[in-house]
Amino acid sequence: MSVAEETPIRRVLIANRGEIAVRIIRASRQLGIETVLAASQADRDSLPARLADRTICIGPARASESYLNQHLVITAALATKADAIHPGYGFLAESSELAQACIDNGIRFVGPPPDQIRRMGNKLQARIIAKACGVPILAGSEKIECSEHALGLAKRVGFPVLFKAAAGGGGRGMKIVNEPADLETAFQSAAREARAAFGDDTLYLERYIRNARHIEVQVLGDRFGNVVHLGERDCSLQRRHQKLLEEATAPAVSGALRTRIRESAVVLAQTMGYENAGTVEFIVDRDNEEFNFLEMNTRIQVEHPVTEMVTGIDLVQEQFRVARNERLRFTQDDVTFRGHAIECRINAELPEQGFRPNPGRIVQWVPPEGPNIRVDTHCYAGYTVPPDYDSLLAKLVVYGFDRDEAIVRMRRALEQFVVRGIGTTISFMTKLLDHPDFRSGRMTTHLVGTMLPAAAA
Amino acid sequence: MSDPSDALTEDDVDQIVTLIGALDKSNFDYLQLECGNLKVTVSKGVLPPGTYAIPERPDAAPVAGAPIAAPQSSPATGKSAAIEVEGTEAILAPMMGRFYSAPEPGTPPFVSIGQKVSPDTTVALIEVMKVFTAVPAGISGVITDICVKDSDFVEYQDVIFRVRPD
Repeated sequence: MSVAEETPIRRVLIANRGEIAVRIIRASRQLGIETVLAASQADRDSLPARLADRTICIGPARASESYLNQHLVITAALATKADAIHPGYGFLAESSELAQACIDNGIRFVGPPPDQIRRMGNKLQARIIAKACGVPILAGSEKIECSEHALGLAKRVGFPVLFKAAAGGGGRGMKIVNEPADLETAFQSAAREARAAFGDDTLYLERYIRNARHIEVQVLGDRFGNVVHLGERDCSLQRRHQKLLEEATAPAVSGALRTRIRESAVVLAQTMGYENAGTVEFIVDRDNEEFNFLEMNTRIQVEHPVTEMVTGIDLVQEQFRVARNERLRFTQDDVTFRGHAIECRINAELPEQGFRPNPGRIVQWVPPEGPNIRVDTHCYAGYTVPPDYDSLLAKLVVYGFDRDEAIVRMRRALEQFVVRGIGTTISFMTKLLDHPDFRSGRMTTHLVGTMLPAAAA
Repeated sequence: MSDPSDALTEDDVDQIVTLIGALDKSNFDYLQLECGNLKVTVSKGVLPPGTYAIPERPDAAPVAGAPIAAPQSSPATGKSAAIEVEGTEAILAPMMGRFYSAPEPGTPPFVSIGQKVSPDTTVALIEVMKVFTAVPAGISGVITDICVKDSDFVEYQDVIFRVRPD
């Protein structure tokens, strides 16, 4: 593949909001790239809007008429003469249509090429690609034709099984089936929900791992075929498939497993010729340390800071460098891991009320400070959290010489974090940190659920 | 404006006083002016949200020495027609895109100043990626101002016309 020589980016349009927009602006500044923020009306006066060199109001608060509208995003980039678009995470970050529209309009998309987004975006196809690379995948199926077909497959794979939407991902559109009698109903409702949510009712199934850890590997590839991993993260602490706490590197895994997972991720990315930042997600059976490929996310992820803290590498800056047709400045041997990092997502939710979101005006906002404490946020005292988007207020990230030190630091940081005016999940995160299963490092994806009353699980 | 590292000249002060006068006459709450290391905030009582708690100062505008005008960073309407005019209602851009004053290049504009409009009168087109959307006046009255030029880029809810309502 022939690649142009290094081409600087002069101006980037940031098609996102909140803390990640702030993050991208910071990385852009470091690289001398001008920033244009494409903001909805609800975010016109947000922190990223104030930090960006210019802000364009592209539509009303509703995401479908603003952040999710690729035509508005492209038009805004053309009108402001931005030569690149950074999609952040969520919204259009994994839209191969946006990536293609960028190419069609002579704009650099800060991410992988459209076909890589597409291939990994279809979760069933991603499984097939992983298998072809020799990456272990869960016993399961390809496309399921009908419920009778599903029953035969499930019996072969062994119950319990999990129905998954090929066009889904991120934990959405999944149904557990514990025994054959439940299969028909589960199949029909999974297909129905998949069609409604993703416009595609194609299902596949996988063996369901009861005691699972979610471990993912950060990869980074340039346009010259160089791919490195930047280590793994443990993201097992989730509520309804939404991550609450992540750490780097994964605790309580054997050196052998760590090496094999990292290498598998690199093999997959290398075989694809993967460009830019991405994350390969694995499911690890806690009981036998078997690991299997789940899916690959072709974007920067929310939890990227923990990887940055233990490697010292600025991932968003590296994204820009790849987009500028620069070679990776480091080899795998140059990537070293030091210490341990933990991130707690602080959300505007009320844990005691089933994690109900509670947008509103923040009256007091005092994040913790000090050495090895990092807060990625768009919030400040006086800011009104709009009701139109997700409830993430801040990412509190700490670094420690080892995991124990990181835990102590996080505990103290959570205690010092003062937010008044809206309720947050800060106190819940403290409880999570104190849980013995968390302390042991052998938590599974069930842990958070066990801490909640049934209604909130 | 002069190099911000020098003291303010008389001209600088005159310009600031003029801007303050414009702020006073407008419906804006505050004006923030940045020039290099100098930052001036003038308000009519309502401060920019988070003034004392924003963790980072926004950088100065990319063109050295140019003031960041109020419409850019204020919570009020967009870049055009910053000053409200008494007795008129604004027609706002219903979407972001490219503004066209006429149905086709070379044809007469949809409306002109002094023209009567009713709520359904098409006053302009806004285009996004070759898809054109007609903009209705939404109000009965007489056009008093045309606030943008043909093929200008407009943001969502920019003021595009002013109408004296019936």
